[in-house]
Amino acid sequence: MLGTEEKRFARLMVTPAVGLLFLVTIAPLLFSLGVSFTNLQFGSPQPMRWSGLDNYVNLITRDTRFLSALWRTIELVVAGVLTQTVLGYVIASLLFRIRRGRTILLSAILIPSVISQVVAGWQGRMIFNASYGPLNDILARCGVKGPAWLASQQTALPTIFLTDTWQWTPFLALIILAALQSMPQDIVEAARLDGASGWSMFRFVTVPLILPVAAIGILLRGVDLFKTFDLVYILTQGGPGNSSETLTYFTYVQGFKFFNPSYASAMSFIQLILVTIAAKMFLSFVRRQRSF
Amino acid sequence: MVDPDELPTPPRMNKLFYHLTALLGAGALTLSSAFGELPKFNNVTVTVVGDAGQNMESLNKYADDFTKAGITIKQVGATFTGLYDKLKTDFVAGSGDYDMVIFYPSYIGDFAGNGYLEPLDDLMKKTPASVWNPKLDEVEPPYREVYCKWGGKVYALPYDGDVLELYYRKDFFEDPAEKAAFKQKYNRDLVPPATWKDWLQVAEFFTRKQGETLAGKKLERPYYGTAEYGARGFSYGWFLSRFASSGGIYFDENMDPMINTPAAVEALQNMVDSLKFCPPDVLSYGYEELKNAFLNGDVAMVVQWSDVGKKTADPQLSKVVGKVGFALVPGTEVNGSVQHRTPMPVGRVLAVPATSKNKEAAYWVAKYLSLDESPITVAANWSGQDPYRVSHFTDASHYKFSDDASRKDYLAATEANLKNGFPDLNIPGAAQYIDALDLAVNKALSGEADPKTALDGAAEDWKGITERLGADNQKKFWKEALSSYRSAGLLQ
Repeated sequence: MLGTEEKRFARLMVTPAVGLLFLVTIAPLLFSLGVSFTNLQFGSPQPMRWSGLDNYVNLITRDTRFLSALWRTIELVVAGVLTQTVLGYVIASLLFRIRRGRTILLSAILIPSVISQVVAGWQGRMIFNASYGPLNDILARCGVKGPAWLASQQTALPTIFLTDTWQWTPFLALIILAALQSMPQDIVEAARLDGASGWSMFRFVTVPLILPVAAIGILLRGVDLFKTFDLVYILTQGGPGNSSETLTYFTYVQGFKFFNPSYASAMSFIQLILVTIAAKMFLSFVRRQRSF
Repeated sequence: MVDPDELPTPPRMNKLFYHLTALLGAGALTLSSAFGELPKFNNVTVTVVGDAGQNMESLNKYADDFTKAGITIKQVGATFTGLYDKLKTDFVAGSGDYDMVIFYPSYIGDFAGNGYLEPLDDLMKKTPASVWNPKLDEVEPPYREVYCKWGGKVYALPYDGDVLELYYRKDFFEDPAEKAAFKQKYNRDLVPPATWKDWLQVAEFFTRKQGETLAGKKLERPYYGTAEYGARGFSYGWFLSRFASSGGIYFDENMDPMINTPAAVEALQNMVDSLKFCPPDVLSYGYEELKNAFLNGDVAMVVQWSDVGKKTADPQLSKVVGKVGFALVPGTEVNGSVQHRTPMPVGRVLAVPATSKNKEAAYWVAKYLSLDESPITVAANWSGQDPYRVSHFTDASHYKFSDDASRKDYLAATEANLKNGFPDLNIPGAAQYIDALDLAVNKALSGEADPKTALDGAAEDWKGITERLGADNQKKFWKEALSSYRSAGLLQ
């Protein structure tokens, strides 16, 4: 137990860090929360005034562009997290079985995850170029006519999803591999002796054992996918039309193209609330699985 | 080829006065270059921000001159479509990070109207004139009046005279077999399209499948009649080409949006119809893709910015050297005569932010680029700059083309398009209005909405933007803009 003097000293020691945190995180957050309840618009002659929940009500009840961007973002998050987790598990399982050359193979697989999103976006732009891109060239050699990946309403968002999956599946594979390697072998052996195999082994032994570690990776990917911006900016700029406009891209348009900080702040807080609720739900799901 | 004098145009300068101005301008420019004085600054660093790449290359090319003048240039690059965000963020924050800004003049109302830029009138009057006078009287009126001025003051110097232009494959249009086939199919001669209706016919004619023949050669891959700027960002410019020539304008005198009139819907429908004759991925085509489609020889004709004309003549960049014709952007038949209105999207000007700590040095750099070295810059293949001074059109010696006829045709067509120019919207809030219009155009192109629904939506958005920015102020700005368009001879 710390004495009174020691407690006072400890508080004194953490004060600079807490102060800094307040200045760079809490204060801007509170400021933008305040702005979201005003009508602030740069370049407007109208004075800034309190507008209450107007921005929030407009967004949720009238702004169809916001609502469709929200729906698109949810599609991207669900499809991305599921696909990357499944593929990541498959890759991790294969790597887990390999004894020789695993490190070299893992390093090679991880390359897409260590490059910046902007570079990945440009690579995607080249790969998915319908006229000169290697993907359509390969498809053509197989007798399949490749689509206009980035130029069609039907394929623009899936192309962003594919590029993200190409880049980030190795990250989840790495996390899941670490989880597989840290599984207590005595539990696995005991389950085998009890006759567990195949699906029951996977469902009742492997999943609960790897989930605490894998959940961190899955959660990070979910939040990252919710914030997808760079790939949209580089690959499609939200087009064709606004068929690939995600929530963060639309927030950027409102904030930095239209210089409408009050509206953009309200959008950001709606996103914050949604991400927090989704993360809470996911973590309670993980807890339920662990206690299975 | 294009003869500017035969074209129906908005009001223009008297011909004699025009040529006299040109001669005087060219003479003055030669003299100023010959006796060009460099000022001496005391090791000043001028931070310049603009869209990175070919449009900032002149800062590298003339770096020695800036060094001799005691100036070190620090460059900050933005993306083509991200320039406004970068500049406005700095201006709103008042951080004063930049001494000179390169920007698209459609933002001049926003930037000058909000007090972000330094008026240049006093700096322009400094002596000696050979160092400080940017000779704006020698700048083509549309660029001088619309690009550089706001509220009667000069806030920017011209740097890039963008205007769209029609490029077509002269070799195919002159091919006897192609001419005969066209005549047989459409019962008229094969010539560069004069109207947007013709455009669709010619585009359809040249669109061929793999294995078919084009100008006597069997095609190894599909060939397309044309391509459009289909990506988000500037697709509105290709819509404006059609819309403006039918007599369209952004707002009426009361600032009610005019972008969803029946003529506007027809114009957008024409652009949608054109997609049938474009490469399948045309909706991802921005400047680079559209330029490359033509330079690689994949399409028979395109409408593109005037810098692409110079690039067609560079064997390092182009597979169609010597095979390109230059012409007026097609128009629309109104009351029995064809009316041409060529959009002037983008363009670039140089300005000094009000927060700059090195205003004089920054202004001089701007003036040096805008005047002294401009004949070299606008003629070069390494730059994205296009002619904007009268002398740039009269002195063709710097332009590198494979033959003299191409050089003359290019300059004549560029000048003819400029004389029929249609200005970019340049009032405060232009970025928002244009983004809403561009989104509507893109929605129609992608099939997300039909042209009428898309443009009706944009018109509603425009009303909302006007209300948000203050309707009274916006109306005042629009009237000022209309007045500047008229004084530049761009509107009647």
